[in-house]
Amino acid sequence: MSKTLAFIIALMIALPAYAIDGTALLKQVDRNLNPESYESYRKLINVEPDGRKKEYTLFSVKKGVDKVASLFLAPASEKGRSTLRLGDNMWLYIPNVGKPIRITSLQSVVGGVFNNADILQLDYAAEYDVEKVEEKGAEYLLYLKAKTKTVAYDRLKIWADKGKKLPTKIECLTGANMLIKTIYFKEVKDFGGGITRPSVIETDSPLYKGYKSVMIFAKLKKRDFKDEVFTLTFMPNLESLR
Amino acid sequence: MTDIKRLKTISCSFPVLLSVVCILYSVVCILSPANAEEYSFDITETEKKLYHIGGYAELKPVLFGLDKNAALYKLKFYNCDEGATIQEYNATLQLEGSLEKGIARLFVRTNTDYKKSYLGVDQKTIIYEGFLSLKPSSSLTIDMGKKTLKWGKGYAWNPVAFIDRPKDPDDPELSLEGFIIASADYIKSFQGPLKTVSFTPVLVPVYKHVNVTFGEFNKLNFAAKLYLLLYDTDIDFIILTGGSKTTRYGVDFSRNISTNLEIHGEFAFINDYKTNFIDSNGNNFEKKYDAKSYLIGIRYLTEKEATFILEYYRNGTGFTYGEMKDYFSFINKGYDSYISTGSDTLLKKAVTVTEGNYGRPNPKRDYIYLRVSQKEPFDILYFTPSITGILNIDDRSFSLSPELLYTGITNLELRLKTAFIAGERKSEYGEKQNDCRAELRIRYYF
Repeated sequence: MSKTLAFIIALMIALPAYAIDGTALLKQVDRNLNPESYESYRKLINVEPDGRKKEYTLFSVKKGVDKVASLFLAPASEKGRSTLRLGDNMWLYIPNVGKPIRITSLQSVVGGVFNNADILQLDYAAEYDVEKVEEKGAEYLLYLKAKTKTVAYDRLKIWADKGKKLPTKIECLTGANMLIKTIYFKEVKDFGGGITRPSVIETDSPLYKGYKSVMIFAKLKKRDFKDEVFTLTFMPNLESLR
Repeated sequence: MTDIKRLKTISCSFPVLLSVVCILYSVVCILSPANAEEYSFDITETEKKLYHIGGYAELKPVLFGLDKNAALYKLKFYNCDEGATIQEYNATLQLEGSLEKGIARLFVRTNTDYKKSYLGVDQKTIIYEGFLSLKPSSSLTIDMGKKTLKWGKGYAWNPVAFIDRPKDPDDPELSLEGFIIASADYIKSFQGPLKTVSFTPVLVPVYKHVNVTFGEFNKLNFAAKLYLLLYDTDIDFIILTGGSKTTRYGVDFSRNISTNLEIHGEFAFINDYKTNFIDSNGNNFEKKYDAKSYLIGIRYLTEKEATFILEYYRNGTGFTYGEMKDYFSFINKGYDSYISTGSDTLLKKAVTVTEGNYGRPNPKRDYIYLRVSQKEPFDILYFTPSITGILNIDDRSFSLSPELLYTGITNLELRLKTAFIAGERKSEYGEKQNDCRAELRIRYYF
């Protein structure tokens, strides 16, 4: 009898681990990282093996799961450039060129380890399905598979803090599980308005040995935008949102 | 001279190029901030100012290797001997400023070019753009003033860019001078396969002192562009009418096929296109026909991060092989006449039909453009070598332009570019005044 009771208690304790809804967990991670609609400022820093750096400052806006746009504020050589992502569609607007051109997710408008898909990151749940979730001590490990072939990485492994439900590390992999890059989430910060999330994202890649790229977030806050802001025609006017 | 197949020799001196590369490397080593401190984000950088002033300053020395037997050399240098090479020293200052208050924004971009060449010193300042923009809502923008529109999806050519000045396929990303217009953008977003619709009506006045190079005077022209983002494809429908130019219609598209492949195209139909041409004796002719131009292209990124841009361009407004051959023959006849009699009457006539006609960029019918650029080879960050080829399919002449670009120093862009030209006599590139060209462009943004 006592053995049966112990088994039932053990089963009850163990049950939540098997009942994790991966999709719901991923959506929670997405929401904790960013509000559904927000604006933010970011600094991107590419660091070379000898310590040399190149920095970019961006103003970014996002709405819903698949609309994001960014405007370069610095350096002077990049000022006024803007990028737009609508689902799988991406464009780059260069003031001198004078018209938006389509870009692809694997390109990088800034060089370094971050590519366009990293800079114009959508909600993970919008691009990936959760294959399985494992518990690793104080963290969840989510195994993600791209919903379509147009997504930049075929697979992701996301380590997320159990308590905060925020990512701590993401490995980006090919379909054959070859590591493309690792993204580290650091320095959790209270941005106000109920937004507490990592303020620094670092990435390195076995494809760029010794190189590192860093993204620092500031002034992240909820804000609603009209859908028309996320259109090709509006790209030259993103500055008016600041 | 008879049509003898020949490959133009590369006469530019490699020691000069080698010296330039060494200087570039030294500049990079001196200016690069090695061992810099830990990263930080100064929030004051993000504060918005009422106004903005910026731009770039540029130095560009150019060395031309001349082809003394080419028709266009004879046309330009018939009364002077400049030797085997000529140098040119260019400096450019491009300034832009904006002032923003409420829904209004004033924007100005000026371009000042200074050129020292065998012709002497030349300097000119042009207002490229200067317009007032009103934005009563995120769905509506109204612009008035001088502005470039840059319609079309092609990289090297844009047959549907009806109200833009032609861009240089050799450097298609250069900013251009606009026209004085009044335009509006109305945007509407939707859910479903049709995500965006935007409509851009444009008025283009052409009068004695307004837009004089656009076309026939005393006309108010109307143009419009309807843009759709439909099934993840950008589609534009374009029209221009009003009398300064004959009515023309255009359509273009662009779409990402995969994470590393984009496809684009343009088609333009021009009603009653008029062209003037001469025969080998210098007799003028006018031809009127409905011209159809189109372009199809791809942009492809390999796993090794090499980018290929490939475009085929059918220029329906271009000259046929025979028409261009007659033009070159007439120049040769004019040159022979000058040598034998000292009279340059025929050559002066050839000059008049060259400007804006035979002398425009890529004046013939069929072209292929290929640009291959490799991002950061040998782990050299911000270094992009590339090579660009433009082939005239009709006469098999071509230009090949290797270039090295380094952008590793903040706000400084260093570009070393050369161009080699090859083609038979009486072919487009075979009759260019240069065999080759080497240029160093140093551009500093501020």
